[in-house]
Order: sequence, then C-alpha cells, then structure tokens
Amino acid sequence: MTTSSPPSTAGSSGPIERQQRGALRLAALLAAGIGVLAWLGRSSDPAAKPLPAGPLTLGAAIAFTGNANLYGQDQRMGLALAERWAQQTGAPARPVRLQLEDGASDEPSAIAAFNLLIRQGVIALIGPTLSQQAFAADPIAQRQGVPVVAPSNTAKGIPEIGHFISRVSAQSSVIAPLSIEEALRRDPSIRRVAVFYAQDDAYSTAEVAIFQKALAARGLNPITVQRTQLADNDFQTPITSALQLKPQLVVLSVQAVAGGNLIRQLRELGYRGQIVVGNGLNTPNIYPICQRWCDGILIAQAYSPELNTPINRRFQQLFGQAHGDRPPPQITAQAFAAYQVLFEAIQRLQRKGGLTGVTLGQARANLMSELLSGTYATPLGPIGFSPEGEVRQDRFYVAEVRMAPGGRDGRFALVRELQLQENQP
Amino acid sequence: MIDNGLLVQMLMGALLGLSVYLPLAAGQLSLATPAFYAVGGTLAALLSTRWSALGATANGGFPVPSLLLEMALGGVLAGLLALLVGRLVLRLQGIYLAIATIALVEIVRVAILNLPFTGGAVGIFAIPQPFDTAAGYLLPALALLALAGWLCQRLELMPLGRAMAAIRHDELAASCMGLDTTQVKLTAFVLSAMLAGSTGALAAHFLNTWNARQGSFDTSITTLAFVVLGGSRTWLGPVVGGLLLTALPELLRPVGDVRLVLFGLVILLGPVLAPQGLVTPALLERLGGWSLRSGASRKTENAQP
Repeated sequence: MTTSSPPSTAGSSGPIERQQRGALRLAALLAAGIGVLAWLGRSSDPAAKPLPAGPLTLGAAIAFTGNANLYGQDQRMGLALAERWAQQTGAPARPVRLQLEDGASDEPSAIAAFNLLIRQGVIALIGPTLSQQAFAADPIAQRQGVPVVAPSNTAKGIPEIGHFISRVSAQSSVIAPLSIEEALRRDPSIRRVAVFYAQDDAYSTAEVAIFQKALAARGLNPITVQRTQLADNDFQTPITSALQLKPQLVVLSVQAVAGGNLIRQLRELGYRGQIVVGNGLNTPNIYPICQRWCDGILIAQAYSPELNTPINRRFQQLFGQAHGDRPPPQITAQAFAAYQVLFEAIQRLQRKGGLTGVTLGQARANLMSELLSGTYATPLGPIGFSPEGEVRQDRFYVAEVRMAPGGRDGRFALVRELQLQENQP
Repeated sequence: MIDNGLLVQMLMGALLGLSVYLPLAAGQLSLATPAFYAVGGTLAALLSTRWSALGATANGGFPVPSLLLEMALGGVLAGLLALLVGRLVLRLQGIYLAIATIALVEIVRVAILNLPFTGGAVGIFAIPQPFDTAAGYLLPALALLALAGWLCQRLELMPLGRAMAAIRHDELAASCMGLDTTQVKLTAFVLSAMLAGSTGALAAHFLNTWNARQGSFDTSITTLAFVVLGGSRTWLGPVVGGLLLTALPELLRPVGDVRLVLFGLVILLGPVLAPQGLVTPALLERLGGWSLRSGASRKTENAQP
C-alpha cells in the first residue's frame, strides 16, 4: 500500500492529495446543487394567489403501496365511484376533479404526497390511509390551512391535530363496544372472555383498549390477553394457551389477513363459542382466508350494505356496475363519503358566493367552515361534524358473517341497527 | 420538482448513508444505523413533548436552541449505547456482525414498542415545531451534513482514518502492525451511532410524529442501498446515494403506478453498471487532477504567444 504511493514532493501531488481535492470539488458541486434546489423549491405556496376559475382540484393521498395497500385499493374504488356519482348528479355549480397520489404506508411518503398536492394548489385533501401517517402529514396541511378529510383514520386524537383536520371514519371507541353488547345479549351467561391483539399495530392496540373498557363496563375481566405480532400467521401457541382457560367468548383485534388465519385456527383447535372481531376484519377479503370457519363471527360496522336509503342504493348500483355483484366494503363507502362531503360543501359554498373573488387560502378556509357546518346524506347514513371535525354519525350496525354453503364466499348480514342519541349529526 | 420538504428528507438520507459508511470504512458491515436513529428520534420526541423546560409552546412552537440541544443529546445517547454494544458485537466479523446489528435494531424496536412511556404502536405525536416551514429544517440538516462531511474528509489524513483504512484492507495485518483494531473499530462505530442519533432527533421534529416503525429492519436495508449505489470507498458515495435514492421515488411520481418498479430497476441496475458505486476513488482522483491553474496558465500562454 505504501509502496504504491511514493512520498509526495512539493509541486507534484500524489493520488491521496488528488482524491482529497477531487472530494472537495465534488462536495462543493453538491453543496451548490443543494443550494440551487433549495432556492428553486422554496415555498411557492399558491395560497396567496387568487383562486382560478374552472374546476377545483381535490387531492387524495392514499396507500397504493406498502402494507396498507389492501385498504388503499378499497379506497381507490370508493373515490372513483364518488367521482362517477358526482358527474351523474347533474351539472354541478362548480366542477371538481380528483388528483390521486400514492401516500404509501409510511410517514415520509405521506408527507411528500401532501406537500406535492398542496403545492399543486388543491382546495382540500383526502387521506392518508393510516392513522400513524395522519399524525405525520396532517400537521403540514394544518399549518398551511388546507382542509383534510380522513376516510379511514380511527385513532384517538386525529381531529384534535387542528381546525383543518376532520374525518368521516368513526372512532373505534364508538363502534367497537356494540358487537360485545350483541354477543352478551345472545348469551348473558358469558363470564370468561379471551382477548387477542397485535401489539405492534397502532390500530389493534387502540381498539383492544376500547374492547377491554367495554368488557370492564359490563363487569367482565378477560381471563387472558394474548399478544400477537402484525406479521404473525401462525397462532397455535397463543390459541392453545387461551383455550386451556375455557373461554366462552373470544375478542379479536387484528388486521385482516392475520385475523382470518386466527379465526380459522381457533375453530380448527376446537373453539366453539362466539367470536367478536374488530374493524380490521371489516372487509370481504377475509372470506377466502377463513372460509367456512368465518361463519357466525360478530362485527360492529359503521356501514351496512343493507341500509335502505337513496344514496346507498345509488352507491350499491355504481359499485355493482364496476365490480360485479358483491356488497361494497365499509372502507370503500367511507372513501366515497369523504369525497361526497367535500363535493357537496364545495357546491353549497359556490352557490353562496364563498368561492368568488377570493385567494386559494381564503377559499380553503371558507370550505373548511362550510364543511363543518353541513349535514350529509351519505351511504354511511346521515353524518355531520363536530366543531373539532370529528364525525357525528348516529347509525351503527352489528353484522354477522354468513358464509355461503361452499365456504368460498359470504356476506356481512345485518343483525342489529343501533341509533346512538349523543352522536346525532 | 423537488420542494424543500423532500430536500430535507434527501439530506437526512445522506446523513444516514454516512452513518452506514463510517463502520464500513473500517471494514465493518454494521446495519445498526436505524437502531441509533430510533434512539435519537425517541429521545427528541420524549423530551420535546414531556419536558416543558425545553420551551415548547402551547401552539406547537419550539425554540431552535432546544432542537440543537436535543440533537446533541440524541447523538450522545446513541454514542453511549454504541459504546456499550460495540464492545460486544465488534468481536464478530462480516455477516455475523451484520446479523448481530440486525438483532440490535429489533431489540430497540421492540423496546420502543413496549416501554410504558413511548406511546406503544401509535407512538408519540404532536411533536412541537422549531420552524414554520420545511425550509427551516434545511439549515440544521445541512450543518450536520457539512460537519459529518468535514470529519470524513479530515479522517482520510488523520491517523484514525488511516488505521480504519488499514483494517478495511487487512485486519490481521493491521493488528500485526500494532494497531489496536478493536479501539479503532469501536471509534468508527460510535461516530456512526452519534451521527444517526442526531439525525433521528432532527427527523422526529420534521416528521411531527415518532413511532417504533421508524427504526426497522427495512430502514437498515434502505440505508445500506444508499451506500451500495453511491459507493462505499469514499464518503461522498453514501451522500450521493442517499440524496438520489431518497429523491427518486418522488421524482418518479409522474410515471404513476409503475414508479416503484422503476425504482427497483435503478437499485438493480446501479450495482450492475457501476459495481463500485457512483462515486469511486478513481473518479475523485480524476476530478482532483483537473488543474484549474494549468488551464488558466494555458489560456494566458495562448493570449501572449
């Protein structure tokens, strides 16, 4: 090593010196490049510019990639249907177009997608898919004064991020206890409850706390709480140790794929009692996983395909045209509702004149107050917003999964519809 | 177009790339960077949301000196952890060291997930903001990168850097020459951890929220890709790799759904077309060999024949 590089003499330079000089030059070049990028990319916030005439753009940042893409695909369907619905409702006072961006399943991507859409001058944002992403990206929209409607964030504290943040997805604390109530109504003698949840998942840990509170309120203390991991698919060990305690009711709060496997393995290992599941299994995508073993599980829902209102019939019809004869999932209905509330608020605001002669920033602020003040007949039922932006939905449903004889397909059969007085829109 | 927010993410990518590079410069393949990144981020998230003495205001503001203090503390804590862990794991070499450092990443992730005060899977949110816009983060990120770059540049001429290079070439020969190889490797490991810890503290504020998912095995692989694509022989390699690979998925947005396919292709083709990475010592040598003065003198000669 030393022999190859002769000691450098004054005037000439050895490879080390040349490398050092080269590194300095490249570093200077990079620094200059970064400086130029910083200058070019400096906040050219379009909020101060006057609102252009013509269609308004709604931005949606939802997960097309990463582990939340199962939900993102459902949301994409909902948004596409809502666009078609908006086109078919007659000439709108103000046309609206949708700009979709991939918010992926991680925080930096959600931030990048929000930044991009805000710079493109969207009037409002729909997304992101996961609550954890919302905690990262929503503060950016809040600081820039861009209204956000979350179609699927159920964690506590989302609307509290700020005035501009709202959601159409009811918190799990409202929905989750209803299915437990139904299970206890069916069998009041239940005393022994086993609980399963994924401890490394934000949704599961939040929901399981609510399940446990609901159980405690009814004087039930879980005989066992089994923790699983998000990526687990084999649950033999936790199931075996839970079944030794002879539970009469099993409560699950896990994501779709894990949940399907967990139910199947519970049944295969001999559990015969009732199963109550959380929102993560609120998708028909579980049927192929747990097949006939899905039969009879109880789930509380914010949406029922069996709700007989004009808008839900219209939504079902559109869904049927696009995706064949099957009931739409809740998450699709919620994405539809997110688009719908923004669309209707924009139309009302346009008629009131709140979108003429204003800057984009003012239009965004006007839209936010208009959004919060209205009530909406959505496929979810009638909804409205609290002043903080929390959804006010009073109609919830408890469904039971009924599998078709072949065990390949099934449906969420409505068993009970509940009206919550304190949440009236 | 690259907005300031993305530029900050790119700079943080470059910093993490450098953090992977430092142990590699001493011949040690360590994938522990996300663990130290997570330690720094969690510390900053906890301090800024729980410790009112740092001066977080009710409307979500945060003084800049407190941010710098957090970055320093994040670096120190990560460095201490590296000192403790390094003594043990640096006895391992090659792929065994890589696996041990992956284990460290997992241990830190599971600890953050389960500690009673780190918010579980949801993590810590509503982290106060020292700057109104993303552009504000450019300055601390650039300053940290400049500091790290200056250190790496100096390192090549310092005894420590030479010792690291010697170990990289042949550890046995280096120890026969009387180098305390354990000490040198440990120093590189600790420096790498401090850099990652400080970056984490900055990232926690930038991301507004912090949870256990930030420092996962996925991040290990991403940061390793920065070094592989950029080049592991010079400190500018990981910087270029980090900048490029962080920006690429965003720059590819116009192509739509296939953007991640293209991104994968770049990662695949990069090492095939440039096995040593984009920035190699030979490239730097050529760049350093271009003499500005000789070019200038030639010009004057031409002017006065």
